[in-house]
Amino acid sequence: MTNLSFSETSQSRRRPLRAAVAAVAVFCTVVACSPVSDSGGTQSGDNQSAGQDSFGTPADAAAVKQGGKLVIALSAEPDALDPTLSRSLYSRYVFQAMCQKLYDVNEQAQVVPQLATALPTTSGDGRTVTITLRQGVRFGDGTAFDSAAVKATLQRHLTNARSARRSELGPIDGVDTPDAHTVVLRLKQPFAPLLGALADRAGMIMSAKALQSLGDDFASAPVCVGPFKFAKRVPQNSIDVVRDPNYYEADKVHLDGISWRILSDASIRAANLRSGDAQVADSISTQDVASLRQDAAVSVLQSQSLGYQGLTINTGNVDGVGTAPKPINRPLAQNAKVRQAFEHAIDRKALVDAVFNGLHAVACSPISPASPFSSPEAQTCPAHDPEKAKQLLTEAGVQTPYPVTMLASNTPDTLRLAQALQSMVKDGGFDLKINPVEYSSLLDEQDRGNFELLQLGWSGRIDPDANITNFVGTGASQNVSGYSNPQLDNLLTQARQANDIEARKKLYGQAVTLLQQDDALIYLYRQRNLTAVSKQIQGLQVFPDGVIRAAFAGFTK
Amino acid sequence: MARYLLTRAWQSALTLLLSTIVVFFGVRALPGDPALALAGEDRSPEALEAIRRHYGLDQPLPLQFAQYVERMAQGDFGVSIRTGTPVSSMLTTALPVTVELSVLAILIATALGVGAGVLAAVRRGRPAEWLANALALIGLSVPHFWLGLLAILYLSVATGLFPASGFVPFLEDPVDNLHHIVLPAVILGTGLAAIIMRQTRSAMLDSLSSDYVRTAKAKGLRPRAVITQHALRNSLIVVVTVVGLQLGGLISGAVVTEQIFGLPGFGKMTIDAVFQRDYPVIQAVVLLTATAYIVINFLVDLLYSVIDPRIRVTGDPA
Repeated sequence: MTNLSFSETSQSRRRPLRAAVAAVAVFCTVVACSPVSDSGGTQSGDNQSAGQDSFGTPADAAAVKQGGKLVIALSAEPDALDPTLSRSLYSRYVFQAMCQKLYDVNEQAQVVPQLATALPTTSGDGRTVTITLRQGVRFGDGTAFDSAAVKATLQRHLTNARSARRSELGPIDGVDTPDAHTVVLRLKQPFAPLLGALADRAGMIMSAKALQSLGDDFASAPVCVGPFKFAKRVPQNSIDVVRDPNYYEADKVHLDGISWRILSDASIRAANLRSGDAQVADSISTQDVASLRQDAAVSVLQSQSLGYQGLTINTGNVDGVGTAPKPINRPLAQNAKVRQAFEHAIDRKALVDAVFNGLHAVACSPISPASPFSSPEAQTCPAHDPEKAKQLLTEAGVQTPYPVTMLASNTPDTLRLAQALQSMVKDGGFDLKINPVEYSSLLDEQDRGNFELLQLGWSGRIDPDANITNFVGTGASQNVSGYSNPQLDNLLTQARQANDIEARKKLYGQAVTLLQQDDALIYLYRQRNLTAVSKQIQGLQVFPDGVIRAAFAGFTK
Repeated sequence: MARYLLTRAWQSALTLLLSTIVVFFGVRALPGDPALALAGEDRSPEALEAIRRHYGLDQPLPLQFAQYVERMAQGDFGVSIRTGTPVSSMLTTALPVTVELSVLAILIATALGVGAGVLAAVRRGRPAEWLANALALIGLSVPHFWLGLLAILYLSVATGLFPASGFVPFLEDPVDNLHHIVLPAVILGTGLAAIIMRQTRSAMLDSLSSDYVRTAKAKGLRPRAVITQHALRNSLIVVVTVVGLQLGGLISGAVVTEQIFGLPGFGKMTIDAVFQRDYPVIQAVVLLTATAYIVINFLVDLLYSVIDPRIRVTGDPA
């Protein structure tokens, strides 16, 4: 166990941070820091300031050349290129070019039709969902895209032993195909998050012919409907796709091919971008953004994610995640006041400014302000108030400074965050110790319940249910806190089954209020996906789902 | 000779078996779970269970080990937990890259190191020696990753002389292949070149002051012949030993160099496998590295007798 305090690192780093914290504290007292608002709004140019979104603009067909191969430097390797099995965020980048989905997401994080012709129609009881498919569409292998292919794909998602999609698809009872262009899903109960799932990997339809010939090895030569088709993969190194002449809107595709190269080091990705070996680099470090912005040949896209980074407090995870919560004999675990005190001791704005140069956005709930499900209740934020924190600690009857140990990943960004938190919560009466571990060990310790407090996040999904229920619902698969509140469970179930967006908004707003009272999970900030793009390239976009959309980009004439 | 080979083979087999046991149980003793690493964000108890069952991770450890040894005996390295591809096919793509990189690095390091070492010994006390010594000191002290970053910055980003990353297989396009791999090989070779330079220099200084060199000079041989045929040949024993010993350092250097230049080699595969707890890949990599060590040490022993006929390999106890 290491106690990484500022005094152990350097005095020179301590002062600017303290000053920043103090300055923001004064600022906050004057203007009051809640509720969270998306400070900048959105815009599409590249002359934005730190806290604004910039998603990129579609290519102007007259201004781009036909042909050329786009090279994208990726920070991590995608896993299996099989929509049923894929679990990594990075495979979604590749799928975006070669595996279209029944539904897609737009800049406003709304679901829009892609391989379907319109949003699905849901029956009055919410248990029958009808999807109409595009006609005249063919897979990369030339076979027809029809309702039979959709059925085969969905059935594989539901029945494959290693499927990562089964839980996303919810209570599907059966799939009917009344004609070649209509698919009817029968559900056991209404399940609103289904639409969001069909706008992600669960909605990617695979060629029935390829599924038949490749079976579980589909990832070795995946075939879907898309602007590009799979060409080659060198493990740990690169994935190549080439233009698919069978694509239904082939005239909108400008590039001959796209190559994703895996370069895990951020500075190496930036170097490849500058040397021209790559035209796009993902997951740029917040530290590099300023220098890249000064480079006239590069623009930086930034889109706020639908996920969050937060602090999970172990309130009842004794025997491992998924087991029944048991009492833990620690004030932090037992008494919500101690947890609320911890939240009041945190100044999120100062944290984001000091650690991430203000590029990420403050978050106090699992619902992104960019989500159509956001509401004023979902964006309220407990104010930074160290005095109140101390008062709550006194009310809870604990001695200050109250010691807390935080488990965190040992990456440089997380350590800087942890150190900033450490110095920040001191004023609120907490003595934070940091226990940095490597990522695989962190996951292991988290699931076993071997922690008091831990820092981790979630990349985010379109439907809010996928960002909340799994993490805070009683007994849910990723409720590592061991938290349980039947009232919250009830609200989340209602929200899951309500098909009216306004009703769901209201329910999620109420859920956020409960979450902030109990504070088993303290939301800290929302990452902005930072993507650097060479100005030679037009039409590259990154939407709130974080996926790099390169399929319709092109080289500037 | 036959007896010597037998002894060596027996010792090697024992070493391999021991390293297999150590790595098999050692990697499983690490905190972390490959199923968790693979499941990524979407992990539910059922998904973890399915992954563990699919890869046989739910079996008792001794049984897993027995199955592993049985498969190994048939030349089957198993399937990567992370990518689902057979480890043998990952090795066939990764190994040639690392072998090419290492061989090229050794060649470059030997050429530079021996050349500079000889020069430093022959031109003792003159600027050439100072320069060679200074370069060797830099080569020894500057880490690969820093040199690699500088090289990318100045030779790729600023001037565009070399590609900043990537790899083209030799059989696909030999010229492009060399264009991609020369820079990493030079970077990887720098540390080794420095060590070789220093060893060559001191061995050469010894040789140059020995009696047989004086004799050679006295009988009127040209200086060049004295240096290359007499002094250098006797100094090469040291060079060969050093190259053999430094191979371990070369492999760990290759891990870093491959990571920086995005080369799809053995090193990158190892790092990814360790972080993801990809047991089959770690096991295969360690076993292969151990084998490489054994084979190279053996070759070094054989080379001794080629360079210096006075040394004979024998199975007799000394």
